[in-house]
Amino acid sequence: MNRLLRSSAATWALGTVLMGLAALAAFAIPLWYAWNATVTAGRQELLREDAQRLSAVFERGGISALTAHIDARVAMQIAGERTLLLTDAAYQPLAGNIAAWPQTISARAGSNAVLAELPGQNGRTLFVEATLPGGYHLLVGRDLARLAPVEQRFTWGLVSAVLLLFVVGVLGAFLIRRALLARVSDIGQTVGAIMRGDLHRRLPSGGSDEFATLSRTLNGMLDHIEHLICGIKNVSNSIAHDLRTPLAEVRSRLEELALTRPPPAEAYAEIEAAVADVDRVMGMFNALLRLAEIDSGARRSGFVRVDAARVAAEVVEFYEPAAEEKGVVFSFLNGGEAPVAGDPVLLAQALSNLIDNSLKCVAEKGAISVHVGRRADGAVEIAVADDGPGIADADKPKATERFFRGDASRGTPGVGLGLSIVDAVARLHGGVLQLLDNHPGLRAQMVLPGR
Amino acid sequence: MKILIVEDNERVARFVTRGLREAGHTVEHANNGRDGLFIAASEPYDVIVMDRMLPGNIDGLAIIETLRKSGNRTPILILSALADVDERIRGLRSGGDDYLTKPFAFGELLARLDALGRRPVESGGERVLLVGDLRMDLLSRKVTRGARTITLQPREFKLLEYLMRHADQVVTRTMLLEAVWDYNFDPQTNVVDVHISKLRSKIELDGEPPLVRTVRNAGYMMCEHE
Repeated sequence: MNRLLRSSAATWALGTVLMGLAALAAFAIPLWYAWNATVTAGRQELLREDAQRLSAVFERGGISALTAHIDARVAMQIAGERTLLLTDAAYQPLAGNIAAWPQTISARAGSNAVLAELPGQNGRTLFVEATLPGGYHLLVGRDLARLAPVEQRFTWGLVSAVLLLFVVGVLGAFLIRRALLARVSDIGQTVGAIMRGDLHRRLPSGGSDEFATLSRTLNGMLDHIEHLICGIKNVSNSIAHDLRTPLAEVRSRLEELALTRPPPAEAYAEIEAAVADVDRVMGMFNALLRLAEIDSGARRSGFVRVDAARVAAEVVEFYEPAAEEKGVVFSFLNGGEAPVAGDPVLLAQALSNLIDNSLKCVAEKGAISVHVGRRADGAVEIAVADDGPGIADADKPKATERFFRGDASRGTPGVGLGLSIVDAVARLHGGVLQLLDNHPGLRAQMVLPGR
Repeated sequence: MKILIVEDNERVARFVTRGLREAGHTVEHANNGRDGLFIAASEPYDVIVMDRMLPGNIDGLAIIETLRKSGNRTPILILSALADVDERIRGLRSGGDDYLTKPFAFGELLARLDALGRRPVESGGERVLLVGDLRMDLLSRKVTRGARTITLQPREFKLLEYLMRHADQVVTRTMLLEAVWDYNFDPQTNVVDVHISKLRSKIELDGEPPLVRTVRNAGYMMCEHE
């Protein structure tokens, strides 16, 4: 119970109950006031008229006539409904249906309405008292008991409404808390499992309520985190393998130089080779830093409206001579303006990596075609297709991993980060990199959301 | 040229100083920010090489800003391990003229310092660039060699213009990529070399003396051959 009280569901339920009470009070208080005002005022009017009529009798026939009139009235009336009393100046009863002047009512000049309880009688009685000439006191009253059941029902109705509110509030709090706890504990369990290392777990995201929306958002975040963590794992593995190789080479070259002390010409050649090895390592580091920069998403803040077709035309122009030199048929299909929100330099780099890859793996007299265009669904497609060896289906999912090198690319220059960068650029722009079969060859295409 | 190096890493400073002296420059060295600012402000230099992260409560960018505020317009090359595009932009905005990330090839540094030191303080006045008998008219965009007119693509024109503006200086492939194509990434293939050889085939016909020299381990240099 203590935990229930501290839960947000309890806070919510308490708030609802308090709101309900306030609404009820806002409804009942004016009603009660209006009821009382109307009923009491009506009664008072009647009683005043009564008292005036009795005063008139007194004025016409004196005290004996009034006494007789009252006695006759008392004898005629249904007992208990109306109270009449006439006393002398010393409050000694002369006529009437109650035995003594009620102590709760003091006599005053004029006629006043007073609410009082009479001993031996249930409920309240509304009195009007009048002082007649000669010091006689007259008291005319009417029992309000007839209205008591109505008032009682009203009170009961109010009490049961309050009780109902409390019950619904507590029950609601309990049920809501149970439902919330079930969803929250689902999330908690999944997150716990992820923290213990099971990165593939995802939150249940069925349904269309707020929790499902939240779950889907969290799942998106988890996908991103998993991707990044896998990236880091790959990088650590790759640093172990791919960066150690050139470093080992540098080390052996330098060590050999120190040990054998060859003639200067040979030594210089070795030193130059060592510098080239170091440059290769630096190239890897630069590419890794670039990837980290892209993956961090920081570049997104500098996004502008870019015409992908123009960027592509420039990159194609940049590569044309190189393709020409290799005797490759290099074609460019420009499908017109293709606006995206992006970073022109990164897009150029991504496309240049794709063309680089194709240039490296196509045979002489091969063909590379670059295509840019807006698709029917508004997305912008930047594709590079070649008739080279392509990527085996089994390798396609791994091709964008850091330092992955397919069989076809072994022995060519490069460090195995080109497609990782393209993939990262595509994802930074909210798009994807697709590696498709070109029968024969590879068709690598970035599909980016259009603008 | 008279060059000031503000760099706290002794090894880098020694390597750069020795290399620049061998290349015929006069070099002075400050190993912290305070000395760097003091020396830079008290003596005229042709170029300053400024490390970004320095001891002495004042970093490279702050020194540059202070110098620029005091009216000092000496060209400054910022040397930094911070390679992000944003850092590069910050460096250049603070008043630096060029940005080179560590680690760097010495040839790259030398070429860039050469370009900075000889950069005309006020450029834009010239209408015609001349190297030997090669003539480029910047207004009519006409290129001639001797009596022969050379037709160039717009990008080839830009490439040749850059080479001619930096005649008798080494320009690296990275400098060309940045200046001519505006790309700050390195293509895997030798694309720049191919562009240069294509340009050469247009400006150096058989029998004509070559104008563009390949400088081993560095880049290219445009010069009238001896």
